[in-house]
Amino acid sequence: MRLALSLLVALAAAPSPATRADPPLPAQSSPPGPAGSSVEALAAALARELGPPAGGRRALALAVEVRARALGAPLEAALSAALSAQGYAVAPLRTPGDPEAAARAAGHDWLLRVQAGLVPGRRELGAVAELIPTWPSFFLQRRPGARAVPPRLVEARAPADAATVLLAREGRPAGAPYAGVRRLARLPGRVLALAAGEAEEGRGPVVVAALPGALVVLSVEGERLATHTLEPVAGPVRAPAAALAVGDFGGGRIAVREAGAQHGAVLALRGGRLEPVAALDGAPLCSGGAGAVFGAFQPGTSVLADALAPLVDPGAPPRSARTLYGVACAPRGGPIAFAALGTDLRLELLGADLRPVPSATPAAPATFLEGVGTGFALADLDGDGVAEVVTSSADPASPERIRVVPARPGAAPAFEWGPIDGAILSGASADLTADGGDDAVLGAVLRLEDGSEATDLFLVTSDPRELP
Amino acid sequence: MSARWRLAAVLCALAAALAAGTAHAGVRPAYGGTIRIALPVLPRERDPALASEPADLLLARATAGQLLEVTEDGRLAPGLLEEVPVPEAGGLAFRLRVRAGSRTASGAPLGAADVAHALERLLSRARPSPHAWVALPILGADALLAGRTATLAGAQVLSPRELLLRLAFPLPELPWLLASPALAIPGAGAFVPAASGAPSRSVELAPNPGAAAGLPFAGRLVLVAADARGAARLLEKGALELVVRPEAAGGVVTALPALTVTLVAVNAQRLGDAAPAVRAALAAIDRAALARRFARGPAVALATIVPPALLGDPPPAPPGRPAPAGASAARAPAAARPLRLLVPDDSPDARAAAERIQVTLFDRGLRARLEPVPRAALASQLAARDHDVAVLSVTVLAHRPALAAGQVALAVAGPDAARRAMALLAGKEGASAQDAAAALSASLDVVPLFATGLRVSAAPALQGLAPGADGAFDPGGLWLLGGGAPP
Repeated sequence: MRLALSLLVALAAAPSPATRADPPLPAQSSPPGPAGSSVEALAAALARELGPPAGGRRALALAVEVRARALGAPLEAALSAALSAQGYAVAPLRTPGDPEAAARAAGHDWLLRVQAGLVPGRRELGAVAELIPTWPSFFLQRRPGARAVPPRLVEARAPADAATVLLAREGRPAGAPYAGVRRLARLPGRVLALAAGEAEEGRGPVVVAALPGALVVLSVEGERLATHTLEPVAGPVRAPAAALAVGDFGGGRIAVREAGAQHGAVLALRGGRLEPVAALDGAPLCSGGAGAVFGAFQPGTSVLADALAPLVDPGAPPRSARTLYGVACAPRGGPIAFAALGTDLRLELLGADLRPVPSATPAAPATFLEGVGTGFALADLDGDGVAEVVTSSADPASPERIRVVPARPGAAPAFEWGPIDGAILSGASADLTADGGDDAVLGAVLRLEDGSEATDLFLVTSDPRELP
Repeated sequence: MSARWRLAAVLCALAAALAAGTAHAGVRPAYGGTIRIALPVLPRERDPALASEPADLLLARATAGQLLEVTEDGRLAPGLLEEVPVPEAGGLAFRLRVRAGSRTASGAPLGAADVAHALERLLSRARPSPHAWVALPILGADALLAGRTATLAGAQVLSPRELLLRLAFPLPELPWLLASPALAIPGAGAFVPAASGAPSRSVELAPNPGAAAGLPFAGRLVLVAADARGAARLLEKGALELVVRPEAAGGVVTALPALTVTLVAVNAQRLGDAAPAVRAALAAIDRAALARRFARGPAVALATIVPPALLGDPPPAPPGRPAPAGASAARAPAAARPLRLLVPDDSPDARAAAERIQVTLFDRGLRARLEPVPRAALASQLAARDHDVAVLSVTVLAHRPALAAGQVALAVAGPDAARRAMALLAGKEGASAQDAAAALSASLDVVPLFATGLRVSAAPALQGLAPGADGAFDPGGLWLLGGGAPP
């Protein structure tokens, strides 16, 4: 077990297919079944690696071990089918105890012990299998447990589709905290805005940071992948700010606009380079499961008008006279798909149609959360289908803290972490650990001893593999 | 005030006590709202070249564009100039580049000629500026000041945005001169006067949409005059957001650097034989006690004419020395006519010090007549040497010893003395500046008394108050938590 887990970790540390010149992973070979095609693709890849039975020994006992119980049965079925296609006579082994002893006792030629799970940080399913000979050896009759030939180790990976990610998501261990936080990276300078998601289709999520006059793309491990210099802003803004989103923007998947800039830009990440592909009239505020939201900076300021639209619409009338610090999108949509934070420090919860989520109080037409800091994100960390608000401390008397607050007025924080140095001024969310659940990344600006500024990026996740 | 805002007030006060002047964690600036500031008096002078009182300087800071800014940690930062200039030609020249696209509130483009004009205005004979010291190091300043030329020869406009300053003597501190509010360009600040009808008991300012640093956060700035008790009461009631006075008024209180120097100038020429006795009497004054008992704001005893805040960690001011036995008998002839003790009529601290000096002189057999005079008249009388003893109060505007010495020397003894003072202290810091300043104090025949500062008392919702090392703060950077929205 320990060996297999370490192999899974080794798999995670290896360069992903997206970043090296490996042959493409096996494509789906059949229509999605109940477990989706990813499981079948993985089973087929593993069976291919294993090859046909050697020496005519076909009887194979199959023992599948997974940390996510829901994945076990579909994977066992897919493996049975794939191995049968290779010529094995497969018998699933589900008895407790030592599987090797059980396979010998049942007269099988082989025991195939398979351990599988999601590869941390990648949207991939990985499997490591031990093929153990279990037939009795004529030459080793005085040592009944001895293996007739050395065992083999094989491994395989397949891209994980949404259904598979759902099946493979591990449950939170008993006694584990609600979420975990770790520092992802430190960037020199002040990060004005963050966004996260797939900047290249099928290449896994990245974190994008907008700094004054620059854009930086980071891997989910915090490694710098690309940088780009933005056009100088046309008009001075007393407090620099930017709007940034990662999503489908036509020719590119990254959209940015600095406050005071004449226009925004859509960029494409290609081969480690950010290439501008189009200009943008609006300010891309965020992009999530329910789509993107565009808005506009109030002229000459670093705050936004309360004019939100699913498409760029410079003429969109403001919904109110409020001004906004920013808007967050829930990565997978849901009943709370968007949230808009006003400069009055009240967070308005919005549905997928950008209309206010009705308040529980009949007198109030909208739902507002009080005391949300200006660095915030929407992320469904507990997997209940409703996004929580991941935000900074709203208590100015205490040092900065990361908080996860249920999206209900008056709800107590579900999680707090800190104190941390600096002030959290930006946030974003996406499935960064590829566990099928949302994660958030928050940027805390701090002043260094030499007087310069830097921004620490913190990953907030409920991925059980990340929990302490 | 609702319970929510009361709670916020307490929390904010605690936070500011921990990190005065810094923005709260996790909150970006918001725009809008009205910020009301109480001052000891209403601003009377809008022209930065003529502003010398705190109220006038604040108005100038709000409405005029600084060429360079002084940061919280005492560094220079670009303002209307796109960069901090560096010395050329062996420290005798500096090239200034105006930021592209700079404009006044009326839309007029700003360029190198405007900077040259601002320098020339400081040397105007028609409206003498107390800040002529800013332009004195530039070549040709004496000719312009004397009326021999109409332009400043050392300010050469090279292009619409580029100005070459040539100096009469090496002065590495010149960039710090450019950060002086006296040299700020009127109409290019964060605010403009708001349209108002009849004369009012307040000065109202509106955002300047073309401000070089960007639109200010506040939607309106209102300056009012209030005494200490009235200001404290209004701040507590939520009718003010900021009080700038020597006294603390409640809320979140920050002491600004003590940069207003109060000193006594002795006119030995007029005093004749009585001069030594007057000096001895002044030397006997316990400056620390004077600062402690008579100054309303944060105060520190002065050893030289340069405020200790500019000298790092200088030695303490000497305590008062007892007069030698029989000194009063030796001064008897001088007591025959009362001495003229001039004092500015708008400086309570200087007035209090003058009254104490009057008593000290009397104790030593010297009668003095206190004459409060308007500041402009005092400057003229000092220039004409028409005084026996004068108490001066000078708010130092430049954050370098050489420049502070030049400013004080100008106030005491005129342009030549100012130029000599700057040349003497040029490039000097710390102990060497302290020694040079001590020698300068003696040569100017002045007795430094104390330096005082102001306190800013802020309402909990007020953010962005970040006084620079020069004691000034940018009103355009002030903002209200919640954007001034009603609770």
